[in-house]
Amino acid sequence: MRKTAEIVVIGGGVIGTSIAYYLAKEGRDVVILEKGDLASESSGACDKAILMQSKKPGIHLELALKSAEIYKTLADELEYPIEYANDGGMIVIETEEELAVMKQFVKKQREIGLKVDLLDGKQARSIQPALAKHIIGATHSDQDAQVNPIYATLGFATSAKRLGVEIYQQTEVTGIKVESGAITAVETNRGQISTRNIVNCTGAYAPFLGRMVGINIPIRPRRGQIVISEPMPKLIKGDMLSAKYIAAKHNPDIVEKAKDKATQMGIGLSLGQSDSGNLLIGASREFVGYDKSTTYDALSAIIQNAIRIIPALRNINMIRNFAGLRPSTTDGLPILGGTELNGYYIAAGHEGDGIALAPITGQLMTELICHGKSSIDLSLFHISRFGDQKLKR
Amino acid sequence: MTETNKKEVIICRCEDVSEVEIKQAIEEGFTTINAIKKRLRTGMGLCQGRTCQKLVARIIAQETGKSMEEILLPTTRPPVRPIIMGAFEGEDQ
Ligand SMILES: Cc1cc2nc3c(=O)[nH]c(=O)nc-3n(C[C@H](O)[C@H](O)[C@H](O)COP(=O)(O)OP(=O)(O)OC[C@H]3O[C@@H](n4cnc5c(N)ncnc54)[C@H](O)[C@@H]3O)c2cc1C
Ligand code: FES
Repeated sequence: MRKTAEIVVIGGGVIGTSIAYYLAKEGRDVVILEKGDLASESSGACDKAILMQSKKPGIHLELALKSAEIYKTLADELEYPIEYANDGGMIVIETEEELAVMKQFVKKQREIGLKVDLLDGKQARSIQPALAKHIIGATHSDQDAQVNPIYATLGFATSAKRLGVEIYQQTEVTGIKVESGAITAVETNRGQISTRNIVNCTGAYAPFLGRMVGINIPIRPRRGQIVISEPMPKLIKGDMLSAKYIAAKHNPDIVEKAKDKATQMGIGLSLGQSDSGNLLIGASREFVGYDKSTTYDALSAIIQNAIRIIPALRNINMIRNFAGLRPSTTDGLPILGGTELNGYYIAAGHEGDGIALAPITGQLMTELICHGKSSIDLSLFHISRFGDQKLKR
Repeated sequence: MTETNKKEVIICRCEDVSEVEIKQAIEEGFTTINAIKKRLRTGMGLCQGRTCQKLVARIIAQETGKSMEEILLPTTRPPVRPIIMGAFEGEDQ
C-alpha cells in the first residue's frame, strides 16, 4: 500500500468514486479506501432512478437537475457503459387525497423549472399500459432518467484509476490520527497512509468515521428492501413511484402515526426494469439499525403493493431479494462540506437519492476542496445545520 | 485451442459470461464472488448462480491462490429458488 497521499477518499460507493474521479481530473493525488468491494453497500443494493420528481422542490431539486444534465454525457466522458437511459418517470395516484397533495407538489416543482405533467388515468395507462384500472391519475416527467448504479460506480472508479487514483479494496479505515489540530494519517487494517485531507464518503457508516475524530455525524441507516423478478420483455417504461412513496418520503409523520404494518415499514412502490429485463420492485423505508437482512413481512407487503398497481406482476417470478442501507438525515438532505477539523470533509447522507446526486456531489466537493468554494453554495448542506458537531462523551 | 475458441468457454450460462471475461475482471481487481457478480452479472441469472457460483470460485482460486473456503464465505448469499409473486396475495398487510 501507498505510504502517503494528498487526499484520502474513504468509501468506494457511488459518492466516493465520483469525488475521487473529479479530484483526479483536477490533478489531485487521491487514493480510495474501501472496506469491502466497490459498490458493496448502498450503491450496489438500490434502484436505478435518476428521479427529479421525488426531490424536495428547492435546493435539493436544483442539485438533482444539475446532476441529471451531467449524466447525459457521463458514459462518453467515463468511456464506460453505465446503461444511462432517459425514459421518463411516473408517479401514480390512487386516491383523491393523494391527487390533492401531488397538485401542490407539481406547482412547486414547476416553479423550480422541472417539466412535469399531471395526467388522468387514461393518459397514464397510455404511457404505462400495465397500470391497474383504479389508478385515477399520475404525474409524469420526461426529465427523469435511469442508470445502472453499480456500473456508474465502477465507471467512476475505472476512469479515476486511469487518471492515477489508487483504489484499495478490502481495506478498512480503523482510525484517523490528528496532531495539533490537523489530520496526519489514516490507519487501516493493512497499514497506515500519511495524509492531511480525508473525505468521509462512507454513507450510512459515516458516523463511525466521525467518531474517530470526535465529530458527531447525525446519519442513520434506513433499510430498503427490494425484490428482483425474472427477466422479461418490456413491461415498465422508465421509473414508476406511487404518490404514497412521496408522502412517506417527505412526511415521516405519516409513517410514525400509521397503524397498518405496510405503512409502518414505509412501503411505497418504486418500480423499474433493468436493461437485462429484470424488474426492480421496491421498497421499504425502515429504521432497524445496521441489519441488512430481508424480512418476509416487508417482501410480502412490497409485492402485494406492487400487484395492486401492476396486476400482471402476480404471474411473474421473484428470483432474488436484498436490502440496502440508505444513509439518512433528519431533513432528507445530504451532509456536504468541511468540518471544524481542518482537512476533514464529509459527503454522505444522500438517503434515497445518492445515485441521482453523485455526479454533482463529486463536482461541487472537488471545487470546495480545491478552491475553498463551490459554484453552487453548499452552506445549506453543511453539518453545522444540526448544531454542535462535538461528540458528547 | 485458439484464442477465439477460448472465448467460447461459457461459465455463467444464464448471463452468457465467459472464462476469459472472468479472468480479465480478476486482473482488474475484482477478486471476490460478489465483486465479479457486480462487474459481470455472474450469478444474477435465472438459476441465481446454482450453475456458475462454484465455477467462478474455482477460477478465483486458480488466479489468486486463495482457498475455496476463503472465497465461498458465508456472506456469499446462497441462491434462492424463483417464487411466483401471486403466491403472496391474500396475506395480511
Ligand atoms: C432499496 C434502495 C433503493 C434505492 N434507490 C435509489 C434510486 O433509485 N436512486 C437513487 O439516486 N438512490 C437510490 N438509493 C439510495 C442510494 O443507494 C444511496 O444514496 C447511495 O448509494 C449512497 O452512496 P454512498 O457512496 O454514499 O454510500 P455507499 O454506497 O453505502 O458507500 C459507502 C462505502 O463506504 C464503505 N465503508 C464504510 N465504512 C468504511 C471504513 N471504515 N473504511 C473503508 N470503507 C468503509 C462501505 O463499504 C461502502 O462501500 C436507494 C437505496 C436503497 C437502499
Ligand atoms: S449460470 Fe450463472 S446465474 Fe445461472
